[in-house]
Amino acid sequence: MQGLKLLSSLRLTVALLGFAMVLIFIATISQVELGIHEVQAKFFRSWIAWWDIMPGEKKVPIPIPGGTLLGSLLVLNLLAAHGARFKFSWSKVGMVVIHSGILLLLLGELFTGLLGREAQMTLNEGQILNYSTFPREVELVVIRPDSDGLETVTAIPQARLKDGAEFPFGGFSVRIQSYFSNSEILAESEATEAFDKTHATEGSGKGYAVLRKPREATDDRKDLTSAFVEIIPDGGKSQGRWLLSNALKGEQSFPAAGWLWKMAIRQRRLYHEFSIKLVDFSHDRYLGTDVPKNFSSKIRILNPDTGENREDLIYMNHPLRYGGLTFYQAGFENNDSTTIFQVVRNPVWTIPYIACAMVGLGLLWVFSQHLIKAISRRNKPTPAP
Amino acid sequence: MSTLRKLTAWLIPALCLLFIASSFFMATRPSAGFDFKNFGTLPVVSNGRVQPLDSLARNALLSIHGKQNIPGDGAPATSAAWLAELNFKPELADTRKIFVIHHDDLLGLTKLTRGEENSYSYAQLLPSFPALQQEARRIGVADSKTWSPYEKALMLLTRNLTLYNQLKHALALPGQDHLESEFTLFLTDIGGALPEVAKNDRGETFDQTLIDSASSRMEIVREWASMTEVYTTPSGTGADGWRKLPDSLVDAIDQGTFHPSTLDYARMGDAYRSGDSSAFNSAIKDDRAWLSANRPDQLTKSSSESLFNAIAPFYLCMVLYVVAFLCAVVSWLWQGSTLRQAAFRVLLIGLSLHTLGLVTRMMLEGRPPVTNLYSSAIFIGWGAIILSSILEIFHRNAIGTVVASVVGFTTLLIAHHLSLSGDTLEMMRAVLDTNFWLATHVVVITLGYASTFLAGTIAIVYLLLRAFGHVPKSTASSLRGMVYGVICFATLASFVGTVLGGIWADQSWGRFWGWDPKENGALLIVIWNAIILHARWGGMIRERGLMVMAVFGNLVTSWSWFGTNMLGIGLHSYGFTDAAFFWLSVFMISQVLIMALGLIREKLRVNDQ
Repeated sequence: MQGLKLLSSLRLTVALLGFAMVLIFIATISQVELGIHEVQAKFFRSWIAWWDIMPGEKKVPIPIPGGTLLGSLLVLNLLAAHGARFKFSWSKVGMVVIHSGILLLLLGELFTGLLGREAQMTLNEGQILNYSTFPREVELVVIRPDSDGLETVTAIPQARLKDGAEFPFGGFSVRIQSYFSNSEILAESEATEAFDKTHATEGSGKGYAVLRKPREATDDRKDLTSAFVEIIPDGGKSQGRWLLSNALKGEQSFPAAGWLWKMAIRQRRLYHEFSIKLVDFSHDRYLGTDVPKNFSSKIRILNPDTGENREDLIYMNHPLRYGGLTFYQAGFENNDSTTIFQVVRNPVWTIPYIACAMVGLGLLWVFSQHLIKAISRRNKPTPAP
Repeated sequence: MSTLRKLTAWLIPALCLLFIASSFFMATRPSAGFDFKNFGTLPVVSNGRVQPLDSLARNALLSIHGKQNIPGDGAPATSAAWLAELNFKPELADTRKIFVIHHDDLLGLTKLTRGEENSYSYAQLLPSFPALQQEARRIGVADSKTWSPYEKALMLLTRNLTLYNQLKHALALPGQDHLESEFTLFLTDIGGALPEVAKNDRGETFDQTLIDSASSRMEIVREWASMTEVYTTPSGTGADGWRKLPDSLVDAIDQGTFHPSTLDYARMGDAYRSGDSSAFNSAIKDDRAWLSANRPDQLTKSSSESLFNAIAPFYLCMVLYVVAFLCAVVSWLWQGSTLRQAAFRVLLIGLSLHTLGLVTRMMLEGRPPVTNLYSSAIFIGWGAIILSSILEIFHRNAIGTVVASVVGFTTLLIAHHLSLSGDTLEMMRAVLDTNFWLATHVVVITLGYASTFLAGTIAIVYLLLRAFGHVPKSTASSLRGMVYGVICFATLASFVGTVLGGIWADQSWGRFWGWDPKENGALLIVIWNAIILHARWGGMIRERGLMVMAVFGNLVTSWSWFGTNMLGIGLHSYGFTDAAFFWLSVFMISQVLIMALGLIREKLRVNDQ
């Protein structure tokens, strides 16, 4: 009973909100060192966040309650408070609406984290693509070209790429000798002492040296993921060592079990049931400046299932919503001939809209009641201090 | 007696109106001699927008010199006059001490000795150009976040020198003494060389000297065009249809004749050099006549902007807010209701002028009120004054006026310092180019800032009165009501504003919430206001606790408004950010002290009893 009383108390609410402020403030200043992605995982999507007070110096981590912990406690506190003290009255309606809206907002954020996906599509003018890629995630693909012109692609997710990991394919296996989640690749002749001593014996990675690097924290820098990979026939000796990396263009081929296979490390792909063609990208700047005035991509949607073949324009603040995905104009490169779309799948994107309306109306309701009371109470001047 | 009092209550506002009227009169009075006032109204395109020469000159002078008055005898009196001198008598302008250097190492590098004003002329800096360029190249490679104060000062100086040079080449080519005849020679020389080029193409004999002289003239004009980013000559349509002055010379080859505006600038330059003010004025008159026939909209816009600059309504507002503040504070000690009424009337005059300035800016820009940090400061002041005027109407105890004038004055002072970093009517980047979201999200969140600051300022008044004087019970309850009501409004505005921002982000980037510093800052304000309300409802705080917490709201809001911007140092003006960091720290410390005052004095009083 004591526990329920505490759980439903306003004191707990205030304490939890106070902790939330501390968490948000620390997470904000930590972004300078860690970058936004690391901060989200470390502070907001965690039960306990370990805050490193002096980054770069001695490690002095201090535990603070993380976003998941505070969020769930706040939800419990809210439910307990309304459950314990609920009695219907018109003046309470506003409060209930506000808090339901906040609950919905928190749940929406939870579901976005669970269900949402964010990928990118980089398209040159004239190019047609039926997939997007995840900029911060790679996969190792092993491709068997079949006789009828089709390919059998086996994609190994990044989480399974580790030093010494071995993946059997009928007749041979692919063994990762060493794996670099982020790296720098240079010609052997330019490499320094710090570079890894391993070298490729086969493929287009011959003659390069690899340096291990920490993962990139910021949005605008991409990891260069690399691995030295050996092909080992069943019961036999290694056929050689390949250097695979998303820094190297294209796939590298190797013969095994009677086929000419191909393999590569590349950005993980998200395939779509339709294709997008970039017809034209345009980018205007204000006269005499580098300030972008607008950028827009004229695209064509090609959907063989529905027979759709139509043009559309994607530009700032005007995304394209299609097939459960939303395409946003995110950037451009190659002298304005390549466009970059942010591709987002978020089945719960409407929740914040509803939640916002609920809380806004609820607050308006409650505060106008206060205001009316205050005005009717006071219509006489008060003395000066 | 009461008539006399009534009269006094109107006398101070009337004097204020007189003060405004005289400022308007001064701003519209035509200038004697050289007509720099109308010179300043001529439209050009710079920084991506049509603006009067006056704004161009003002913003450049503020960036370079930090203020508009130029030291020295016979120095140009206005920024437009300075621009004319810079273009038409550059050898004189180069001796004006306008470049500010504070850092000792930078003085050492430029081999200058510290003067009284810390200001140096272009001519004094000229010998150090190689050293400055070499340093700038070295520093420019590194990330601007890691620059030392000396490196920042050096980069700022080189940036200002570049700006100065670009402006110097906007309306004339330094070194050409007789612009009109040089322009004409350019056209005849090129015209004379064209047949020779054609002869050469046909394999006939031709005169090489004619071609050589024409191509050297062409080379000079090409070089000139690369020196400036100011577009002076309307051609074609819209804001993009403008040409630089040197490019308009090249265009004249095909046209066979000069654009009227090109020749007008040449005539202005020649008249200025020869000291012939009537020729100078008539060239301006001709140019304005051509513009009003061919580009009436852009001439009207640039004339209004230059008038707006001359009146400087926000400066007048600051004066009025000081008057209102003094009257209101004195009213607590002496002549209560008379002075209180006078103070409130002065405040309302200031508010009208503030509104006028805000609306004029909106019309010039074609945008909702808040588009950058500068306009957010103007709008926070405006919003806070409206809210506290409402409080004053209800409570009639001068507290609303005091708080309004303090917030209004402070935010306009902040705005003034923000304006030193450049054009405040700049064009919007593509991602911000949406009037709908600027009008909803940005306006609502800025009202959230304004009201949180307002609650904090009222609380400061309470805490100071309590610490250094006596707060009667009824005043205390009136202050409590004000703070509570304003916090309720602040909660509503900051919540709705924050969520609207999330919805905008969902519309443009596909994510509702990204935990970006600015978003987090706004969320902190919402949560803090929610904490105050819950603590109050739960009986955890009483009157004094409410006030102390409201002051902490100032801290949270200033962090969100400025602090978050300093994390990334992504702001274009590094010089400003350092100063802002200092003042932000001073502000935050002062707020902590006031909160401490609220806590300590109470204990002492309890002990006394």
